[in-house]
Amino acid sequence: MPREIITIQAGQCGNQIGSKFWEQLCLEHGLNPDGNLRTDLPTAGATADRKDVFFYQSDDTRYIPRALLIDLEPRVVNGILNGPYAKIYNPENIYLGNDGGGAGNIWASGYRAGETLADELMEMLDREADGSDSLEGFMLLHSIAGGTGSGLGSYLLERLSDRFPKKIVQTYSVFPASQQVSEVVVQPYNSLLSLKRLTQYADAVTVLDNAALSRLAADSLRVQSPNFDQTNQLVATVMSASTTTLRYPGYMHNDLVSLLASLVPTPRCHYLMTSYTPFTADLVDQAKSVRKTTVLDVMRRLLQPKNRMVSTQQSVNSCFISILNIIQGEADPTDVHKSLLRIRERGLASFIPWGPASIQVALTKKSPYLQVSNRVSGLMLANHTSIASLFKRILDQYDRLRKRNAFLEPYKKYPMFADGLEEFDDAREVVEDLINEYRLAETAQYLA
Amino acid sequence: MTSQGTENGTHRRSMSSREVLSQTDRAINAMSQLHHRSRSVKTSTELAHDFRVSEREKMASRASSTRPRERSPLRPEKEQPESVRVASTESSNTAGTMNQPPQTVFNHEVTLLPKALSSLARRVHPSPLSFQLQGLKKPPPLERMTLDVQHAVIMDDLLHVLMGSEGQYIRFHERYNPSVEVDRLSGPEFRLAKGLDPSLRDLAKALLKLATYHSSVEAFVEIQSKVEYGVVNHALCAAMRHIMKEYLALMSDMEYKMLTSPSFTLNMFHIETMDMGRKLAELSRIVQQISRKEEPESEDADDLGTDFDKIMETLKANDGNLNALSNLGISKTTSTIAKGGDVIKLLTDRLYSVSGDPAARELLTYLVKEASRPYMRMLNMWLHRGIIADPFNEFLIKEQKSIRRERLDEDYTDEYWDKRYTLRKDDLPPQIADARTCDKILLAGKFLNVVRECGGVDVSNEIKDVPETIDDPRLLSNINAAYAHANGYLLSLLINAHKLSERLTSLKHYFFLDQADFFTNFMDLASHELRKPAKNVSTSKLQSLLDLALRQPGSITATDPFKEDISVQLNEVGLTEWLMRIVSVSGLDPGDITAMQLSAATPASDKSSERDEKKAITGIQALQFDFKIPFPLSLVISRKTILRYQLLFRHLVALKHIEQLLGVAWLEQAKSAGWAQRSKNRHLQRWKSRAWNLRAKMLVFIEQVLYFSTTEVVEPNWCSLMAGISEVKTVDALMQNHVDFLDTCLKECMLTNSKLLRVMAKLMAACKLFATYTVQLSKTLPTIDFEASDANSAATDKISKLESILLQYEQNFDHHLKILMDALNYYAATETVVLLSLCARIEVCMIAETQHDP
Repeated sequence: MPREIITIQAGQCGNQIGSKFWEQLCLEHGLNPDGNLRTDLPTAGATADRKDVFFYQSDDTRYIPRALLIDLEPRVVNGILNGPYAKIYNPENIYLGNDGGGAGNIWASGYRAGETLADELMEMLDREADGSDSLEGFMLLHSIAGGTGSGLGSYLLERLSDRFPKKIVQTYSVFPASQQVSEVVVQPYNSLLSLKRLTQYADAVTVLDNAALSRLAADSLRVQSPNFDQTNQLVATVMSASTTTLRYPGYMHNDLVSLLASLVPTPRCHYLMTSYTPFTADLVDQAKSVRKTTVLDVMRRLLQPKNRMVSTQQSVNSCFISILNIIQGEADPTDVHKSLLRIRERGLASFIPWGPASIQVALTKKSPYLQVSNRVSGLMLANHTSIASLFKRILDQYDRLRKRNAFLEPYKKYPMFADGLEEFDDAREVVEDLINEYRLAETAQYLA
Repeated sequence: MTSQGTENGTHRRSMSSREVLSQTDRAINAMSQLHHRSRSVKTSTELAHDFRVSEREKMASRASSTRPRERSPLRPEKEQPESVRVASTESSNTAGTMNQPPQTVFNHEVTLLPKALSSLARRVHPSPLSFQLQGLKKPPPLERMTLDVQHAVIMDDLLHVLMGSEGQYIRFHERYNPSVEVDRLSGPEFRLAKGLDPSLRDLAKALLKLATYHSSVEAFVEIQSKVEYGVVNHALCAAMRHIMKEYLALMSDMEYKMLTSPSFTLNMFHIETMDMGRKLAELSRIVQQISRKEEPESEDADDLGTDFDKIMETLKANDGNLNALSNLGISKTTSTIAKGGDVIKLLTDRLYSVSGDPAARELLTYLVKEASRPYMRMLNMWLHRGIIADPFNEFLIKEQKSIRRERLDEDYTDEYWDKRYTLRKDDLPPQIADARTCDKILLAGKFLNVVRECGGVDVSNEIKDVPETIDDPRLLSNINAAYAHANGYLLSLLINAHKLSERLTSLKHYFFLDQADFFTNFMDLASHELRKPAKNVSTSKLQSLLDLALRQPGSITATDPFKEDISVQLNEVGLTEWLMRIVSVSGLDPGDITAMQLSAATPASDKSSERDEKKAITGIQALQFDFKIPFPLSLVISRKTILRYQLLFRHLVALKHIEQLLGVAWLEQAKSAGWAQRSKNRHLQRWKSRAWNLRAKMLVFIEQVLYFSTTEVVEPNWCSLMAGISEVKTVDALMQNHVDFLDTCLKECMLTNSKLLRVMAKLMAACKLFATYTVQLSKTLPTIDFEASDANSAATDKISKLESILLQYEQNFDHHLKILMDALNYYAATETVVLLSLCARIEVCMIAETQHDP
């Protein structure tokens, strides 16, 4: 099948999110945990879905995810392999670090591990790529704060753009919850170094922020401190929603390019934030009771900052570069049209002053296998300039650490930093440029 | 002196005529049963009849042993000895004034005609006319008779004349020639011998009218019973015969009275026959009307065509046996015969005009009833079975057998549906002549016909409880019921057995790309082929690539049951060009697409421009799909509609293609070093940003149009079409809905307006050009970037050149976008309201840019 997407799950966070994502996809496509089609579903015959984007069929007709599970420490992956969905993965696609020690939350360690394992990893990637007819791109799931996800992930990003220069690389990157004190003290270092790669080598980065995720989970689930399982479920929901147009093809947005091309008008500003509404009991346990879900309600709610899965500080000038709303369910095109007009009238969304106010809506079907009580649900993928505040925060944290030269010793153990810390300075410059570009984009001078 | 002889003669005659009467009864009964049977099969009854006729002749001749060559077998001879007649050759001054050679010798043998007009017609040679016979002995002159004798003689003569032959004193007028059909149909005129008492003369003249009527009606029955006059005429003749039988009974009654009752006078004779006289007068009037109708000789091309079809069919059926042709009675006269509905129409019109006269009304009601029986049988057969059993082309529906359903595939004009069965609009019986009713009749049978052609007609239910005559009050309700039934039948056949909805859904997949995954795949596979100029593209290669894409396991189309029916075509003309032609042909009414066939069938006459254009368009512009639709569904999804599907398809493909090109450009700009890297040179960097921005603008624009065309035009209209299908009651409404759906889509996709078309074409061309331009640039950009970092003048020149090109693109796009917006606003306000939505969408997206544009 054309336009396949290979998912790479790196590190603890990436694998946790990934396993949730695959569970969600299995539910939506009516697959059993072992990858076989469920036969007990009434709608089993009437499929209008495309499983091949994310799955391929094995000889025994099971659906196998096009997924690579990579971690340097076995705990999470073993957890997956002991779980109900263990059999669905291709065991050849699982790479676990031999020493079991992991990257120890050091970016350089993860990166170094990538370098040493390069052959093995590339072999896995090549095999998966060869198994697809017309590979469209890669989806990297990782966090940028830890060691493996950020370090190894960064290395993979570099190698991917080298090995597959024309394939789209999209990442779902979990950013650290910056407000709280993290248990990983070097996380600003890791984040900064990862950000450089994300800026340079990825084509679209969906930013997920642990703080916002926890807030959303707490808000929608009414629990004081939601666990990772619950927040990861949110991420999986968003991921599945953002790929519905690929899996349930409609008139438009049937491939990754068409999804991303209008979202990312200028190459470097490719950080996307997401909102999703409503999180219901069907998707997340103990969610709030369903509110009224009309198209307008959904679209309006999607624009509210509190529903975003990223915590950013909006300034007066911050604005949207582009928006893509993916509306699932029975949406009437005229409602959509009215909602768009309403949003414009009320000035609910302000756009960049120099380019087209690209607000697009994709209407998709719901999975016939999922019974949900809300009529309409929506996902917003948005390119918003306020994302720069997140980078600024990371930069500030980095600067604070760097000024004291704190915790640099572990990095110096690795070849990249053995001769100096120029890599840090380089990364800082890239991120600063990025922040400046976003700032500039808020003004009409962007094109001047 | 003659009274005794007369007495004798009449007695003998009365015997024989009674006998003959009963035979005639039987014959008529037999004939009325048989009148519709094929002429070629001579049934035993007919043979028996033939036999009886000849027997009767012999008997008559034996009984009378005189004038055997009579006009009617009922005519026995009177007292003249035959020797007188036979020998009467000398006094031949009555030469044939007509075109007949005078018959000088009277042959008393009865000879059969070699070939009778019809099965009911007289089989023996008509008797010679008296004035042509030579040497007839003059009867005793009337002047010398007393009034009583005159009375008796003239009564006797009148009885003869009323039976259709000549009397002694009452002769046919010389102008009357029984071998001329027109004469016979208008009936003979009579000449009374001189010397008759005026009192008798007037009564006799009154009675002679009856004789004229009788002869004309009898002639009519004979002539119109011929095979080619059709079953309605046959039935009418049978009904007339029935009345003639009453007439004969009356005559024999009169004769009896005359013989037995001395008080029976000519006056009483007159009075007793008055009722019958009125009846016959009415019949005769009808006879005149019908035969007058036949006179005008007009050639009807359609009828000739029908005849030709018929000949071909007979040839086939009879294995080329030409003799069969003669059985069909095909001749030029068939086209001028009043028959079928025409006859019923005449009768009914007459019925209406005499409705004040109870007797005539009763008679005509009877005639209409009887004549319409076979017609109604045909009608019921058609209404309830969809079959036309109409060998004489008299039914209201005409069938063109040469139009076969197999030809539907290539046929653009839906001939099968529109032309195979047509109404004979000119001769509809007034009972069913109003447009709604006859349309219903036509459609009901057509529908059943389709069902039957698909092998699924349910013949188990008897055609029963249906009106058998046209004056039945249930006529209309029967038609309505049949129409509703046929409609429901065909609808359920289309929707259930032939899966109309599934077909349409498939069409939607393939032509509207509502699940476009297969198409994306196809475009990927065929991108190389489709980039070529259209004339270099190999259709077979595309076809195999399409098959590959369709059958790709896992794609949605792989499970589509109709994927075999889709095929690739390359159109010679670009979409815009084509549509422009259509719009210009249609003139002021762009919604009308019938002109499309015109332009599709006849490419522009200017060959050279045609060739240029062919060169110009690429494979992707020429690409279109075709979809094979099996028979009954092709009535709904006809070639006409497929054409509309193709137009919409090409529109969507063009948009998708540009979207894809812009996507490629985006990828290139994001991936290639030359584009993505931040340039040191401020001008170059600014240029890149502007280029990105223009590309983004174009992409947004194209996606908005695509979104509008699909989500806001095709999808809602589609939903209403599908909702309509479950509710629709008639097949014609279904067909209409379908065409309306497509026309609406075309109109709302801006494909029917020349101005919008032109602007859209320009915008799309601009997007396409720019997309390819930026991709090409990615090779040279790094070098310019490198040079520009040195700030040398060559690089500056290059950059300014790039800037000016980009400026042109920007201005061009903005300019046309503005024109489009103005046009959209205008047309949204004037004709197509939906465009308002597109307007608003583009405005929403582009407004920020327009605000800040200097």
